[in-house]
Amino acid sequence: MTRRNGVPTRGRGSRPGLLAGLALAMCVSLMAQGGPPSQQNEKERERDQAFKDFQARVKAYVQLRKSVETAVPAAKPTDNPDQIKARRLLLAQKMMVARKDAKRGDIFTREISEEFRKQIRRTFSGREGRVLRRTIREGDPVKLRLLVNQTYPEDFPVTTMPPTLLAELPKLPPEVEYRVVGRDFVLQDAELRLVLDFIREGYPKPYH
Amino acid sequence: MRRILLILFLFGLAIPPGAQEVTLPLKPDSVRFVAFGDMGTGGKLQYEVAQQMAEYHQKFPFDSVVMLGDNLYGGKSPTDFEKKFAMPYRPLLDAGVKFHAALGNHDSPDELLYKPFNMNGQRFYTFKQGKVRFFALDSNYMDPAQLKWLETELKNSGSDWKIAFFHHPLYSSGAAHGSSLELRALLEPLFVKYGVQVVLSGHDHSYERVKPQKGVHYFTAGSGGKLMRGNLRNTEFRAAGFDQDCVFLAIEIAGDQLYFQAISRTGTTVDSGMITRPSGENEKKPQARLTRDGTRLRWLTSRIPAVPFPSRLDSVGLARDS
Repeated sequence: MTRRNGVPTRGRGSRPGLLAGLALAMCVSLMAQGGPPSQQNEKERERDQAFKDFQARVKAYVQLRKSVETAVPAAKPTDNPDQIKARRLLLAQKMMVARKDAKRGDIFTREISEEFRKQIRRTFSGREGRVLRRTIREGDPVKLRLLVNQTYPEDFPVTTMPPTLLAELPKLPPEVEYRVVGRDFVLQDAELRLVLDFIREGYPKPYH
Repeated sequence: MRRILLILFLFGLAIPPGAQEVTLPLKPDSVRFVAFGDMGTGGKLQYEVAQQMAEYHQKFPFDSVVMLGDNLYGGKSPTDFEKKFAMPYRPLLDAGVKFHAALGNHDSPDELLYKPFNMNGQRFYTFKQGKVRFFALDSNYMDPAQLKWLETELKNSGSDWKIAFFHHPLYSSGAAHGSSLELRALLEPLFVKYGVQVVLSGHDHSYERVKPQKGVHYFTAGSGGKLMRGNLRNTEFRAAGFDQDCVFLAIEIAGDQLYFQAISRTGTTVDSGMITRPSGENEKKPQARLTRDGTRLRWLTSRIPAVPFPSRLDSVGLARDS
C-alpha cells in the first residue's frame, strides 16, 4: 500500500493483494471448469471410457442383429406393405428371442448411465436448453411405460430428437437410435423400434 | 345485356363447386409437382383433398408429389397403407404420378421400404426432376451423419434449383407447433450457403408462406388431411397464410421462375405468386470450398466472406419469433 496526497492507493507495494486476487480468480475458474486440470482429465477419462464401453455394447448388439438378420428375407422396397410388416415382425421376434435375458442396465450400465446423465444435463442446461426442450415438445411427446426387449407401439408418434444433443452423445450405427420417451432416455433399434435399454428419468426435467 | 348476364350466371352455376382455376403458366418442359403434408388420416378431409388434387391434375398435369411427413397417422397395418394412401391417391398413382415421402413424427420406418413412397429404404435422400434437385430430410432425427450427408450433397449439386423438404418447419406462425428453432440454427446456414431457394414443410396443420429469409423461401403445407382452424398467429415473417381449410401446394418451375398456387379442399386458390431465382446463383457458390476454422466456417476463395458456424444456437437469431 502507498500513499499519494495522503490518500492510500494500490501500487507496487500491493503485490501480495494482487497475487491473492489472481489466486482467487484461478480457483473460481477451476471450479467453473469442474476442478483442477488433473481432476478434470480424470473426469474426461472416465467419460471417454464409459462412452467407449457403451459403443462396444452397441456394436455387440449390431453384430447379433446382423447374424439374426441372415435368417429373415432381405429388406427391399416393395409395393406390398404386408411383406414389409411381416419381415419386421419376424426379425423383431427373432431378436427378442436372441436377447431373451436382456434387462435394463445391460447397455446403460451404472457408469455409462451416469456419464449419459451428466452429458444430457450439460446439454440441456443454460439458454440452449430451453430451445432443446422446445424441440422435444414440438414432436407431440408421449408418456408410456417402457420395457426392455419390447417394441415401441407403432401407432404412437416418436419424439423429435434435439440435434444438438445427438451431436454431443456417442455416435451410433444406423441400426440404432436414441429417443426420449416421457422422461426416459431410450436406446432402440431404428427399424424394429425394439427397446434395447433405457435410462429411467434420463431426461432432466418434465416438459409440462 | 341482361340475357348475357343470365347466361354467365347459369354458366357459373354449371361449374361444379370443386372446380379450380389454374394460375400456373403451364409452360412447355417445365417441372411440375405438388407438395403437401400431414395427410394420412384416412378421413373425409384427406379424401376430399385427394379428389381436388386429381381434378387439378387434369388441368395441370404434374409429374410428382412431395409428401411432407405424417403420411400415415395411427395404425400402420397393410390396410392402413391402403386406406390412408393407395385409395385416396389411386387416380394420381394410376396416372403415373410419382410420390416422394419425407418422414414425420407420426410415421413408421416401414414406410422407407414402401415402393410408392420412393424412399428406397433411406431416411434422407435426394432426387432430380429436370433442373431441380430435391433433398428429402428426416427432421425427427437430425444427427451428425445426416447433416454431413446434406452438406456433401448440397456442395456437389450443380442443379439450378435446390428444394429441401422435411416435416418440421424452420419458420411457422402455427400456434400448435411453431418454428423449429434448433433445426433452423443448423439447417438455415447450409441452405443459405449452398443456395437452396425453397424449403417445404408440414407439421403445423395450416398453410403458410414466409417472407424470404436470407434469400430462402419457406412454405408450410401441413393441412393435406388434417386441419387446425385458427392455427396461424401474427408473426413478422408471415407473408401469406390460410388456416380455414385443407390445402395442397402446386408448383411449376420454368427457367429461373418458380410459380406456386395453393389450392384449398374446395378448389379455391388461397395463395399464388412467382419466385425468381437470382441469375448466376449456381455458378458463383460451388467454386468456393468450406473449411472449419475454429468455430467458424470459412470460404477458401477470398471473395466470399466468412460465415459464422452456428456452434451456439443464439448465433442465428433464435429469439426472432420466440
